[in-house]
Amino acid sequence: MNSSALFAQFQRRLSAAGGVAQWAEDLAQAAGIIATHPALAEQRLIIPPAFASCQPWGAILPLLRRHGLHLEEAATPEQVADAPAGLSSAVLAIAETGSVVLADNSLAARIVGMLTLTHFVLVSAEQLVPLLDEAATLLQTLTRPGPQQQHYISLVTGPSRTADIERTLTIGVQGPRALHVIVVATPSTGDLSSAS
Amino acid sequence: MMSHQEHAHQTPAQLLAAQTSAAEAVPLIHNMPPFRERLQRGLGDENMHRALERFAPSWRQSRQTLFAAAEAEYGPDYSFAHLRQRLRAAKDEAIARQEELVAQFKERAEAAGAVVYEARTAEDANRYIYELCRRKGITLVVKSKTMVSEEIELNHYLEERGIKAVETDLGEWVAQLDHERPSHMVMPIIHKTRQQVGEVLSRATGREISREDVAEQVAVIRREHRQAFLTAGMGISGANALIAESGTVMLNTNEGNGRMVTSLPPVHVVLAGYDKLLPTFADAITQIRLLARSATGQPMTSYTTFITGPDRPGKEVHIVLLDNGRSAMRADPRFKEALRCIRCAACANICPPYQQVGGHAFGYIYSGAIGLVVTPFHHGLEAAAGPQSLCVSCNACETVCPVEIPLPSLILDVRSRVATREGLPWLKRLIFAAFARPRLFDLLARLAALGQWPATLGTPYVRYRYLRFLERLPGLGALARLTRWRSLPAFALRPLRDRVGVRADLAAARQRPHRAGELTVCYFAGCMTDRLYPEMGEAVIQILERSGLRVVFPRAQHCCGLPALNSGDRAHGLTMAKQTVRMLEHALDESGADYIVSASTSCVVTLVQDYLRLFEDLQMQSWLNRTRALAERIMDFTTFLLRVLVAEQRLPALRRPAPGSAPVVTYHDSCQSCNCLGLRAEARQVISEVLGLELREMTDSDVCCGFGGSTSIEHPEIAERLLARKLSHAEETGARLLVSDNPGCLMHLRGGVDASGKPLRVLHLAQLVAEYLP
Repeated sequence: MNSSALFAQFQRRLSAAGGVAQWAEDLAQAAGIIATHPALAEQRLIIPPAFASCQPWGAILPLLRRHGLHLEEAATPEQVADAPAGLSSAVLAIAETGSVVLADNSLAARIVGMLTLTHFVLVSAEQLVPLLDEAATLLQTLTRPGPQQQHYISLVTGPSRTADIERTLTIGVQGPRALHVIVVATPSTGDLSSAS
Repeated sequence: MMSHQEHAHQTPAQLLAAQTSAAEAVPLIHNMPPFRERLQRGLGDENMHRALERFAPSWRQSRQTLFAAAEAEYGPDYSFAHLRQRLRAAKDEAIARQEELVAQFKERAEAAGAVVYEARTAEDANRYIYELCRRKGITLVVKSKTMVSEEIELNHYLEERGIKAVETDLGEWVAQLDHERPSHMVMPIIHKTRQQVGEVLSRATGREISREDVAEQVAVIRREHRQAFLTAGMGISGANALIAESGTVMLNTNEGNGRMVTSLPPVHVVLAGYDKLLPTFADAITQIRLLARSATGQPMTSYTTFITGPDRPGKEVHIVLLDNGRSAMRADPRFKEALRCIRCAACANICPPYQQVGGHAFGYIYSGAIGLVVTPFHHGLEAAAGPQSLCVSCNACETVCPVEIPLPSLILDVRSRVATREGLPWLKRLIFAAFARPRLFDLLARLAALGQWPATLGTPYVRYRYLRFLERLPGLGALARLTRWRSLPAFALRPLRDRVGVRADLAAARQRPHRAGELTVCYFAGCMTDRLYPEMGEAVIQILERSGLRVVFPRAQHCCGLPALNSGDRAHGLTMAKQTVRMLEHALDESGADYIVSASTSCVVTLVQDYLRLFEDLQMQSWLNRTRALAERIMDFTTFLLRVLVAEQRLPALRRPAPGSAPVVTYHDSCQSCNCLGLRAEARQVISEVLGLELREMTDSDVCCGFGGSTSIEHPEIAERLLARKLSHAEETGARLLVSDNPGCLMHLRGGVDASGKPLRVLHLAQLVAEYLP
């Protein structure tokens, strides 16, 4: 399956789960998508600690700043709780279910996707795979003992939701009310001059 | 309970006795109202019925659509049938290799920094968690939904010792605030309306919360729990799987509370039964593909979290592995299959009586079919005694179980244990004792046929209007009340056995010269056809003979034992099973018949499935072999009609209905036909293709009509409601003919039509076909 068909499938599944998937050619386009989203009306975006050194995503930060966004590193749950928008990155996206895999040992990094109201997730097109089975392989690798062992991995499929009351679907319970996954074709910075 | 090996040298009688002792768990559940009270409350809860009846069809639809779509897109490896085989195999492997996998899980989890504690009893688990709180000075605990914590009443234990436990799943929280237990394993407050939820939330928060606006109600929980999440000293979760290869805990949640419970507090306790073990991540993925689709008809839960030891310095992860009756299940060759359960509650979602009474009555702590099966092990046989009586043996649960647990037969095993422990009611005992004696039964049936006149006034029915005057009398009053919504059938003055003439002469059938290719069929009518509906039997014989077959009717035939087996009376069931096997063997020998045909799918299922299980359980190897040999020759009438009479072009050309005057037919799938024998298309093919009649499908054609054998006598309220639904679905089609292929259903449907005066004719498929014979 070519990458656009795969993305279309991912988008369909994620949208069925209440989330949104968008395609970006590069980081500049991704930054534009985030910056113009209504959740950024206050121009406040929570990011994981040390995101600047996170490959290849750190390079998006200057682009976001150029859009006038105020970037705030997550530190405590109190600070992040109900912040309008947060950004993190995924290690895998799965077309079969519209899911993204988030792996973060750091609590501060995780609360971005747990407590903010709109959660943006960056994932590269290379990491978009057809089937959940590839998550199994990745999970094996990530949980392998050693200093790189990932202790807390989440397969996230859409925003938080409940149907506990009369089976009425309500989006946004304890977790984010919106999930926005941006699949980036080439996670480079693109043409810097056009972004500025 | 004993293991299979220990049974080795016991006689069937000893085995029957031995299998009645269920594992004894200490019943510790406090404030659990008695079964009768729960049942009455459930029957009276109109809101709950509406909710469950609305949920069931939409769940069925979305579940089916999801599995079908996956199969269409990814191929047969992703079909429900294939996925469930895979998960079943993984679970069976985990059950078989439990010691080894526990050791592996422990080693990997501990290497990742977790602490693993093995709790033998509920008390052990509760004490461990409480001691942990006490040592660390923790007074507030946040919890995400865990059924195991309900199983051991952890909240109660902690609260008695001054520790506050807050449920953070929306439904669990509302139930907790209202001092209730979840009535469904996945949707804990499906029995509550938004108005009720609004009231509970207003009371709990001291503020006025909308009674109508669900979004506002949901927003309350986010606000109310924020502080608890930030200050709790401990988070407690369950586990959807324990993955041995890496020591990982897998959790499926939707609301996002699960990730907060497991992330924010400095101590995370995982409470899980040994049954949650899975060998690998690949197995966990198979489970993911089955769980949400089976549970709520959604493709995936929002969050699937994989936790492998603590994520940060200072954080503690404790994993409490709970036995509490599970090793007794594992030691039991039958019940160990129930350890495959992934708690999806599909067996509740599809269960007709569950929809009528809800999970508080249809279960104990665990609800739905699986609740009836595991309760004896976790909470004692006594706790399962009432709930198990609600099962109508429709077998629908087994068709949707994502791990192929033979739920219906395990429920019957529980029933027989209850029956042996508590004894059957005297009336049932008497009836089955008579049933087990063919000659006595014959005499009684004939006497009843002669003596029934005051109740039938010579009509084919025992009607309420004839009996109404008895209503106030003890005993007979109950009989009169039973007929209020369903007339009972009269005994035939001439049972089928009196009408078969020379066909009863088995040896003569063999001696008469045969034409080339002529088949001989041994007809097993079943006692209901024989005694109540001989005209159905005559239709069968007529079709077979007009197709050029030779029919023999062994007069020694009697009840197959189904009523006794279904009531948990295995001793009498066994007697009748042996009688029937012996009788059929003899009939085949004498007559040289090629097939045994029955137009009662209930009897067929008893003969080809239930006997095997019975003889296997009682380790009666030679009877098992004899039954297997017989089973190869047994066929239900509908299949026989298509596969032999139609396919081999033996059926004569049927009369075609005159255009414009053809009756419209609607078809009811008997549970035994569709759920046990897998027949769905066959009867429809007969109606629309062979007969050329218009078939109009009714809603829920494959949902139980409510007969459910003796359940309709024990719980008439349930049988009445299921019948009313069935008949109104049939009536809505505008069809005038209601057809099925199982005399039990036909009796129930006919009685309901007669009592309600609905404009429907109820016929056996054979009777319909016979009407069009040339």
